[in-house]
Amino acid sequence: MIPVVRHGLARLRNDRARTALLIVGVTAAAAMVGAAVTVAYALATAFDRSAAAAAMPDVTAQFAQQPLAPVAARVRALVNVRAAAYRIEAKGVDLTAGPRFATAVVDGVRNDGPRGYALTSGRDIRHRDEVVIEEGLARSWHVHLADRLTLGGDPLGVVGLATTPGTVAYPLSRSPRLYVSYDTARRLTGGAAGVNEVLLWLNDPSQVDVTLAQARAASFGLRDLQFVTRSGYRHLIGRAAGLVISLLVAFSAIVLLAAGVMLGASAAAEMQRRREAIGVLRAFGATPSSIAVGYAVESAAVAAPAACVGLVAGAAVVASPLRHLLGILNEITPPALTTFGLLAAAWAAIVLVVAAATWVPAWRAGRERIVDTLRGGDVVGAPKRVPLPALAGFGARLTLARPARAATLVTVLAASTAVVLLMLAIADVLHGLQRNAQTLGTRYQLTVAASDISLAEVREVPGVAAATLRYESDAADSFDLGESFKLVGFAGDVTSYESPPVDSGRRARGIGEAEVGAGLADALDLHAGGTLAAQLPSGREVRFRVVGIVDALRDEGLVAYVRAERLRAAMPAASTEIAIKLAQGASLNDVRNALLGRGVHADKTGGISEDSGLDTSGRASFLRVLAALLRSVAVLDGLVCVYALAQILALIARERRRAVAVIRALGASRAQVFAVFAGAAVLLAALALPIGVGVERAVLGPAVARLAVSYVTLSLKAGSSAILVVAGALAVAAAVAAGWATRTATADAIVAPLRED
Amino acid sequence: MQGVGSVLVRARGLTKTFGEGHAQARVLDGAGLEVARGEFIAVVGKSGSGKSTLLHLLGGLDRPDSGEIELDGVRIDRLDERGLTAIRRHKIGFVFQAFHLLPELTGVENVLLPARLARDGVEAAPRAKELLERLGLARIARRLPTELSGGEQQRLAIARALINDPALVLADEPTGNLDEESGADVLNLLRRLTDSDRSVVLVTHDRAATSIADRVLRLEGGRLVA
Repeated sequence: MIPVVRHGLARLRNDRARTALLIVGVTAAAAMVGAAVTVAYALATAFDRSAAAAAMPDVTAQFAQQPLAPVAARVRALVNVRAAAYRIEAKGVDLTAGPRFATAVVDGVRNDGPRGYALTSGRDIRHRDEVVIEEGLARSWHVHLADRLTLGGDPLGVVGLATTPGTVAYPLSRSPRLYVSYDTARRLTGGAAGVNEVLLWLNDPSQVDVTLAQARAASFGLRDLQFVTRSGYRHLIGRAAGLVISLLVAFSAIVLLAAGVMLGASAAAEMQRRREAIGVLRAFGATPSSIAVGYAVESAAVAAPAACVGLVAGAAVVASPLRHLLGILNEITPPALTTFGLLAAAWAAIVLVVAAATWVPAWRAGRERIVDTLRGGDVVGAPKRVPLPALAGFGARLTLARPARAATLVTVLAASTAVVLLMLAIADVLHGLQRNAQTLGTRYQLTVAASDISLAEVREVPGVAAATLRYESDAADSFDLGESFKLVGFAGDVTSYESPPVDSGRRARGIGEAEVGAGLADALDLHAGGTLAAQLPSGREVRFRVVGIVDALRDEGLVAYVRAERLRAAMPAASTEIAIKLAQGASLNDVRNALLGRGVHADKTGGISEDSGLDTSGRASFLRVLAALLRSVAVLDGLVCVYALAQILALIARERRRAVAVIRALGASRAQVFAVFAGAAVLLAALALPIGVGVERAVLGPAVARLAVSYVTLSLKAGSSAILVVAGALAVAAAVAAGWATRTATADAIVAPLRED
Repeated sequence: MQGVGSVLVRARGLTKTFGEGHAQARVLDGAGLEVARGEFIAVVGKSGSGKSTLLHLLGGLDRPDSGEIELDGVRIDRLDERGLTAIRRHKIGFVFQAFHLLPELTGVENVLLPARLARDGVEAAPRAKELLERLGLARIARRLPTELSGGEQQRLAIARALINDPALVLADEPTGNLDEESGADVLNLLRRLTDSDRSVVLVTHDRAATSIADRVLRLEGGRLVA
């Protein structure tokens, strides 16, 4: 083995360009793996990690304010409770810091149990004039420890920063969350003693259902009681983050597959170059296994430092955006030691893969007949007859001579194509949500309260193209009063103002017809042709014939769109506002300012549902970051395709150098050699493209769409423009790879390969 | 010796060195020759004497360190790669010892390959058919090289060398991998090529080859001697 290692190391020293190429390849692959693994692990484990750091309660109960003593007595009666913390929560409290203003959610904390939030810097509250603020607020408003805020008119000093898992951070959430002393919160809620929230930690969290049943039984007299469990939060966050995680996991799998192909191709090419040397070593007594192990050790020696550098670089590149993303989700980054351990495992895996990728072809070459190996020369697989134009067809046949390798590369390219298409589809949806409310069918840009201004006055405002009255009311299903939903009505044609995509059936046209959100249709088992019976707060019931199921995102799809007449008749007190459509090219801000000049505040409709609790500017920023991230990953994935293709073609160029030399000797120009390799690359790309498109449209897109929002059939199927873009990119990748292979194949003198007989 | 015409190839003062330092070896050291149209020349010499190198230089596969090579009035030692490609395409046909047929292509596809490289594939198809019939290869035209005997492969290689109707055929030990009978067939075939005013330069160890040549040149000490 040692003479083989010595020979390998001598080759590395003497052929520095090739060694550098190997180092670059391993480093690049390791960087991709490092980035993918770091992000996937951090996101997949974020909730549990943050929940543990914050000592998140197993159950949170909220109710209308009650005196502490009776609430505490009921909690003490529960058998599975390990600890409890009683709080008073105030919503809509005015918060100012310099020129900045927001309405905050304030938790009054008694020092009677675990906190339920994780302090990331500073300390907890000790005095009445102190406040702990959420990290998102500190970041957004540039507030630091010891700064002062005004909360409900009272000045408070910031003593700590915290994150609370289970919610998104400000400004993505509309209201920042702050923690103050119980007395301070009590003052903010009007001074009455009592609590309206209990956090419970259980002895046996697996028995949470039993505890909840007990708690419900013991809750007689508590109004507006709601329970939220830790597992419920995990499910919620998991669903939200699932989209990103599944994408990253898919990307990681492709990266690993591509890296394996690249390293395997590179190692196979290197063994091809060493065939003669292997023959000599065998002739002088080296065994196939000693050759394989010796070369594997040598390649591992090269890969070890390169993989180390690549992994660290990959992890470093994603560290900042990852921290930002976790911050937005109110979650904390993994400990450095864990990340280090993860990277160390990845390092060991990469070095092993490289060693194995060298071992296999070396072992195979070592087992060949020595005289064949000594001759070097071409390695020819089973020839395939492909009826294609001469040179491109020849290239295609070169590729198909190694069917297993061709199949592997087609798999890599198809998987990459599918993921790139998916990312482009998601990025398009996000871009649309950020830029254009009409993506979800909302065709008006502003709303104003109907009590503030008349419809006629609104229509006179410059820049307003149309306006109509919009009515909205809570409703409950008459047959199952537990299922509540929103009933939305427009004066006149509904679809000209709000028309989410129709999933089945048709648009509502008549007074008695309704379009029903997919979430409501699922909940009530409604279909086109069925009846929606809505019990209104007025006590009256209205019935509509369901004519269509629509993909509405707002209210988780628990919504129905109708003509206003019946709704107004049954519910005269329904909330009324004016929906405003802007003229083509009109400035949203100009129209808002014009309305403000008339003393009317106008709200933007935004893209996602208004009731999602997300602030518009924060949401736009978040969506922009996500869309940019997805497009960047798509580009990176594209580069992986180029590299994988180039490696395979370089391997073909090496294996078939004598064939290339022959056609050069027969008069082939560089362009014609390029045509040979382009034929090989185009064949692979042409096989991969339809497979990738099919996988994306039939499997990945629908699966991720369901994962993202289960209550709506959000279309993530790649459109024709995205497919064209990817096809063009594949063609460019094929051309680049063919160009590189041509350069490699024509760099040597023609005669050298011809002598290898 | 058959009648020969004007000079097709004129090479003078060719030198070529391989290796570096102590391992440096000058395989050609002022070699020169003239090949007339329709002439059949056999070049013999010891292994490593530079026979194949001479052939590579004459065919524009490699460049001399110094010296001149004129082919059909063109100084090919001064041509760039594009010019050499055109010369290889139209003026020269190669026959290699190891045949070098492309295993993915059928017999007829291999024969047509140089014509397709010269963008003459369609017009060359009848010519290829005629060539294959003339060389007795018609029945194996659709087979892959791996399905053929050595003699059949070499005859296909000769057909490939002739498809673009080159003025000069360069054959590098074409009988080296063949049995005696097949070798004789191939030599006869090459000999007949000169009937149509085509020149052949043959590098060989084969005594039979030297017996049918118009001239036999020996490569010694890097120079060609009669």
